[in-house]
Amino acid sequence: MATLPAVGVAIPDPRPAARRRPATLARFVRKNPLGAAGGVLMLVLVVAALFADVFATHNPVRTSSRVLVAPGGEFWLGSDNLGRDLYSRVVHGSRISLAVGLASTLLGAVVGGLVGLLSGYVGGKTDLIAQRLMDVMQALPILVLALVLAAALGPSLTNTIVAISVVIAPRAARVVRASVLSIREFAYVESARALGVGHLRIAFRHILPNTFGPFVVLVTAQLGGAILVEAALSFLGLGIPEPYPSWGRMLSIAAAEYAQKAPWLVIYPGLAISLAVFGTNLLGDALRDTLDPRLRGS
Amino acid sequence: MRAYVCQRLLIAGVTLLGMSLLLFVLMRLAPGNITDVIFESAGYVDEADRHRLEAELGVDRPVIVQYTRWLADLGRGDLGKSYRYDLPAWEVIRPRLPVTVELAVLSLVFSVLLGVPTGVISAVRRGRPLDYALRVLSLAGLSMPSFWLGMIVILLLVRSLGLIPSMTYVSPFDDLRANLFQFLLPALAVGYRSSALIMRITRSAMLEVLREDYIRTAWAKGQREGSVVWRHALKNASLPVVTLIGIEFAFLIGGLVVTETVFNLPGVARYLVDAIQFRDYPIVQNLAMLIAVVVVLANLAVDLLYSWLDPRITYGGA
Amino acid sequence: MSRPRPLRPLLTLPLLSVLLLTAPLPAQTPKYGGVLVTSPLSATPSLSPHEESTIATVQQASPCFNNLLYFDPARKQESADTLIPELAEKWSWQDSYRNLVFLLRRDVKWHDGKPFTSQDVKYTFDTVRGAPDARAKLKVNPRKLWYENVEAIEAPDPYTVVFRLKHPQPSLLLMLASGYSSVYPAHVPLAELKNRCVGTGPFKLKDNKPGELVEYVRNPDYFVKGRPYLDGIKFVVIRDRSTQIAALQSGQLDVAGSGWNKTNAENARAGAPKLVIVEADSNVNDNVLINFKRAPFTDARVRRAINLALDRKAYLVGPRQGAATFGGALLPKPAGVWGLPAAEVAKLPGMGDPGQQKADARKLLAEAGFGPGNPLKLTVSTRALAIYVDTASWMVDQLQQVGIEATLEQIETGVWHPKMTRLEYQVALNLTGIGIDDPDAQLFENYHCGSQRNFSGYCSEAIDRLMVQQSQTLDPARRLALVNEIDRKLQADGARPILGWAKQYYVRWPAVKNWAVHDNSIYNVSRRQDVWLDK
Repeated sequence: MATLPAVGVAIPDPRPAARRRPATLARFVRKNPLGAAGGVLMLVLVVAALFADVFATHNPVRTSSRVLVAPGGEFWLGSDNLGRDLYSRVVHGSRISLAVGLASTLLGAVVGGLVGLLSGYVGGKTDLIAQRLMDVMQALPILVLALVLAAALGPSLTNTIVAISVVIAPRAARVVRASVLSIREFAYVESARALGVGHLRIAFRHILPNTFGPFVVLVTAQLGGAILVEAALSFLGLGIPEPYPSWGRMLSIAAAEYAQKAPWLVIYPGLAISLAVFGTNLLGDALRDTLDPRLRGS
Repeated sequence: MRAYVCQRLLIAGVTLLGMSLLLFVLMRLAPGNITDVIFESAGYVDEADRHRLEAELGVDRPVIVQYTRWLADLGRGDLGKSYRYDLPAWEVIRPRLPVTVELAVLSLVFSVLLGVPTGVISAVRRGRPLDYALRVLSLAGLSMPSFWLGMIVILLLVRSLGLIPSMTYVSPFDDLRANLFQFLLPALAVGYRSSALIMRITRSAMLEVLREDYIRTAWAKGQREGSVVWRHALKNASLPVVTLIGIEFAFLIGGLVVTETVFNLPGVARYLVDAIQFRDYPIVQNLAMLIAVVVVLANLAVDLLYSWLDPRITYGGA
Repeated sequence: MSRPRPLRPLLTLPLLSVLLLTAPLPAQTPKYGGVLVTSPLSATPSLSPHEESTIATVQQASPCFNNLLYFDPARKQESADTLIPELAEKWSWQDSYRNLVFLLRRDVKWHDGKPFTSQDVKYTFDTVRGAPDARAKLKVNPRKLWYENVEAIEAPDPYTVVFRLKHPQPSLLLMLASGYSSVYPAHVPLAELKNRCVGTGPFKLKDNKPGELVEYVRNPDYFVKGRPYLDGIKFVVIRDRSTQIAALQSGQLDVAGSGWNKTNAENARAGAPKLVIVEADSNVNDNVLINFKRAPFTDARVRRAINLALDRKAYLVGPRQGAATFGGALLPKPAGVWGLPAAEVAKLPGMGDPGQQKADARKLLAEAGFGPGNPLKLTVSTRALAIYVDTASWMVDQLQQVGIEATLEQIETGVWHPKMTRLEYQVALNLTGIGIDDPDAQLFENYHCGSQRNFSGYCSEAIDRLMVQQSQTLDPARRLALVNEIDRKLQADGARPILGWAKQYYVRWPAVKNWAVHDNSIYNVSRRQDVWLDK
């Protein structure tokens, strides 16, 4: 599998993690204005998701007779073909997108990370098998694999999370494994082993913390991707089922029927997805720059 | 070198075998028997007829037998039959291939045409407003769902300009102009997203190279920036970019799936979605395998190209 | 002195214009030529109507075939009075509607040149009814039930066919006129007919790209002289509704609208004002399936509460965008022939004051033991397609308004009917399209005890008896009374609550002439031999 050292695979600093944290938040903002902007976007997303009920003006699933009303007045962003308030649905959609994105990314990253940790640390046959397994999962493009999984498991909230995390796991495994491989040979690990410290302890106490940096970068990088895959799945009808307002699903129904008469149905959910992913990408880039200066310049 | 090639081929083969097993298992996991699908379009289910069909289709055989039969068929090039259309799968897939291939090629061309120059400019003008602007633009491309971009484009075209390309596929052999007009927008939509990735890689690769001593020496010697950049830097930066194009391929195919749907192009990617919707198992299995083969082969080719171009790579490593 | 007012010219001008406007226009002479391009509802799995159950197949296969007889395209309401001959020149009932004799045309050839005879008719309908000595067997046979009453089919000579029935059944004649009842060639294997159409019809198959395109070219040897007018018809599958609209507006499609609702039609015309909207009723209804065999839906109060909670007027505004009619199990008048009177329809559950009905629903649920402390939890299942999901979301909301905790379950298109047949659901939103506006065509398959398509598991022996009785009733007035009685009881029992009967819309360019649309069916107008293009 071709690996591209320039981007995505971090070679971590053998210095203990503590000393590498960015000194202050203010410094971070100053050095990474774009990243700060991304952080703000993410904050808005999280707040909207947590307090959706506060920010929404209507019940997102309540239908009414005021169908396809243009933005303004009672419906800030207009209403859809069942008379539901688009603004409230977009706000509640943030909850779904964030929840699904985070859950699937964390699940995939944790599972993949563990596999990578084991595979990198133990090496040998385990490593070989695990690597081939990851290869297999990466032989299909992300969306195609997610599609096939979603089709096999059926469209539901949990199945969508599982499908996306399966897609993320191999990438996480690769990142963690690479960093484990480079730390494994360091003197302090060797000496710990010579002292008789158990493998598990070495793995979790010494090696794992040093993969923290690239892990965080990976999570933020994949979060945007997870949100996009969920949107695509829902667009194709295989993702989050109704009545959960999912941004991707809002686009599929709207697109099919009413795009010309009610363009707001297409514009706002898509804008929401784009801004959310944009925010995660900006933040992810900035974090990577901070947590590993060697990767800066991408 | 030969050992490396053999090793890579072996890995590719194992990967594909693993993928076939995964696909086979996944399709069997899906709720609903294949005979359900056939009766679904009839609108009813008759138990007696159904048992007869199951025997006919060989669905009542043990799973291992079904799997080995499928692999054997694949090896012979027999892609099986579409349950939905009751036609050989190849007959249904074949007319759709040129569409997807054309879209993929055009998208790749656009992504390189857009991505490489912007990456270079961004690297050379590093830290300046232009760099930021280009980075933001390319990041925006990565953040947008590709199907949304397609929808907005169609909306703009139809609403504001009243212009739309043919909604029914026009073969390039029938009318090249109409065909290109039809593929321009979807290729741009997919290409824009892919170009963002290429731009980022090109930029970082360029930055790496620009930091090299010999470039600085050339600058110090007073050589014109233009020739320095284009002759030395680009040549060396091209390596990771070439590698990326291989990885891009997989990324691209995902974009094709939704784009073909939005722009109504009768391609293979969209057909996969249809087949999934209608539980046309042979098609889903075989199409997914086909895509996996293409991706694995593309990666293999890129791996070999990479190792051939860059003798610093050690063989046998991962 | 004022000048004399020019009164006469002032009067004659308006008079003349009135005369001109009210005078009958000279009938336009149809022009020959042109290829009509349209977009069907969806891709068709095959071109064999006897093996499919979707309008998409009928749309794309009808130009190729003929029936024994057909419904007159020019008359909007189909009935026994609008039947016209096709392959049969004459027919007559004998022995009190027990024998049906057809005298066939002698000048008909199949598209491959072979002559058409009574053997083809016998072969077709023996196959479809699953006769024990039938030469061929259909893999799937959705309308076998229609021909259950046929004892035998005889072909005493090459141009005569006799259907011998077990009991009198006036409806059989109409079933043979349905778009599903094409006559197949006895000399072509069934498997071949799936993708290569061989018929006697006005158009010959030119190209078939499964899932994308079906193209026809004029049949020069068609037995109706002077038809068809068109040089060809092209069915282009466009999945996305807004793309269909755009294609129509730009002139790439001549006519479209299969499956469109009112908003789609208006959108289309808004972008291209010259477009003409054709509106009609249809025999497609949205209905609710409640699983009679699963607790707590075995309790009639729970079923009725669900029915009451669904406000039909809100259904009209939201999911139907203002375009639907209300009725019982049979298409309501004036579009349909057998529907319940409007006064009765207005009193059906869900039709009354929404506030009152929802309150009644809560009361019934309370009686059945459900309330705020113990809410009824249920899943509304529907097909994973946008239009169904929308309506089902609306349903979920309505149910939530009476305290039911409803969620939505999407079922893949590929397994919908099997799941329904196995009763693997609680409440479901279903759509039923009925082949012909006739009680026999739908009562048996949807409501008879044990029928494969009786998805709600409803069973009433009294109704079954009435069904058989009405099928054999010869006097139309008496039969209507019986049908209404059945309908009344079905609605009272909540056998399959009808949300509404959809209206259908087609949008065409003015150049498209004679694009027939019927009020009480969507399945029986697709022959298209009278369509012409004024270009």
